[in-house]
Amino acid sequence: MISVENYEVNLSGFRLKNINLNINKGEIFAIVGETGAGKTILLESIAGFYSPDGGTISYGGRSVWDTPLEKRRIGFVYQDYSLFPHMKVRANIEFGLKMHKVPKKERREAVQQMMKMLRIDHLADRYPVTLSGGEKQRAALARALVLKPQVLFMDEPFSALDPNTRQRMYELIRSIHKNFGCTIIFVTHDFYEAASLAGRVGVMIKGELREVFGGENMFGEHSDPEVVEFLGRYEAKESDYENGYKNAFCRARGFTWQRDRDKRLGADEQGFR
Amino acid sequence: MKKIKKYTGFEAVAIIITFAVTVFIFSAMAFIVMRGVPYIGEAFRSEEVRFALGLSLRTSLTSTLICMLTGIPAAYALVKTRFAARHLFSVIIELPLSIPNIMLGLSLLLMFSSGIGRALSEHGFRVIFNVNGIIMAHILVNLPFVIRMIKTAFMNVDPKVEIVAGSLGAGRLRTFFLITLPLAKNAVIGAAILAWSRALGEFGATLMLVGATRMKTETLPTSIYLNMATGDTGPAMACAMILLAISGISLMLANFINGEHKKAGRN
Repeated sequence: MISVENYEVNLSGFRLKNINLNINKGEIFAIVGETGAGKTILLESIAGFYSPDGGTISYGGRSVWDTPLEKRRIGFVYQDYSLFPHMKVRANIEFGLKMHKVPKKERREAVQQMMKMLRIDHLADRYPVTLSGGEKQRAALARALVLKPQVLFMDEPFSALDPNTRQRMYELIRSIHKNFGCTIIFVTHDFYEAASLAGRVGVMIKGELREVFGGENMFGEHSDPEVVEFLGRYEAKESDYENGYKNAFCRARGFTWQRDRDKRLGADEQGFR
Repeated sequence: MKKIKKYTGFEAVAIIITFAVTVFIFSAMAFIVMRGVPYIGEAFRSEEVRFALGLSLRTSLTSTLICMLTGIPAAYALVKTRFAARHLFSVIIELPLSIPNIMLGLSLLLMFSSGIGRALSEHGFRVIFNVNGIIMAHILVNLPFVIRMIKTAFMNVDPKVEIVAGSLGAGRLRTFFLITLPLAKNAVIGAAILAWSRALGEFGATLMLVGATRMKTETLPTSIYLNMATGDTGPAMACAMILLAISGISLMLANFINGEHKKAGRN
């Protein structure tokens, strides 16, 4: 279990304040919030990238900072994927295995298997600069997953993808989670993405983790007025419905909207856009 | 139909000024080429010019190597670590960039004339009026420049790729050699080429520290100075021509490397 207790960090004037959070082993946890709310800093903090100004973060009872970054068994996928630009896709994926001194033969097999699983084996000898957003994303995921990390961190990993690719990626993440059983923590500003992928969702507002709730309660009752306002500001799109987020009730701005085309309760008439 | 290019008044003035500046610089260089070319053959037969060229190459290569070996780790520490005094260190290191070279030579002269210099001299490391002094002068002039250039190169390496490398199991040293340095490689090579070229042409600090003695501390710029002072314009022009050629090639090489670097979009 990942445990964050009274964590505080100050980074050039931006402060994460008194963060308390427990994430269970094997859980998928989403962090949502407005731009500048501190989502990425919280994600990086949980990965142990910053020395704290207060509080603790522990993995299975052991402080994250007691283990050097290279031995933490985490995978991190940034929004821009941060592939090594001077290495081909194969070398990018192989990098971690090399660092862990995996014998060459095993290394090659593991890389090939991972590329096949993510359907990027035809990209093996290409440089990242020549890849599309979706291809880069899959390469970055393959690079992180080939080491079978205990925790996979992803910072807005799907934001640059077109809707179709995004759908395929959701399926991929679900299957990765099923196959690898790793804990996944990701940042998104897409409510649908958070609610449909994550078991639980945390809302960041002004550097504070205001509420944590189950993905199915995304538009349920919330006690924090700023969380209500933030979630209420979300304008549900037809694509949310199209994306298959059905049979869940959305309560926003005081109006209820059942996201099932057949049972839609005249949202327009009720003022919900 | 040919498209007629129209420039605004401001653009036209800027282009005219650029033209004037180019003509001015080109004329200055062209005079060296025109006057130097006839003496090139003769220069390579002259023992003095050959000595000056050899000494210049030897000292500039040594000083460049030292600058790179010390400049790379120093730039790394200033950019990628968070030690408390890094801002102060940065200011001190870059201070010589705004000081005339002759003054830098004077500072070295004072330093190596002091007790420390005498102690070093007693242990066989002589600097004043010695070839070692030429290397020391080059280092003091070029090291801040090298560190500044490499600092910029390291700053351009996205810290996220280094963090990801760490999360994949690479320690700091391996991250540096496998990620940071290869990504900054072209800028680092460019810095080395420019530092070498600057070292070849360094005169002020060298003159102050080691003087200008024929066939002893005579580098190419010193040779130009000595020969012009005695009215031997031939060898002076030939040395100037050699320096100009080396500088031109170095600059083109550095620009080419930087251009390739940008084309590849690898930073």
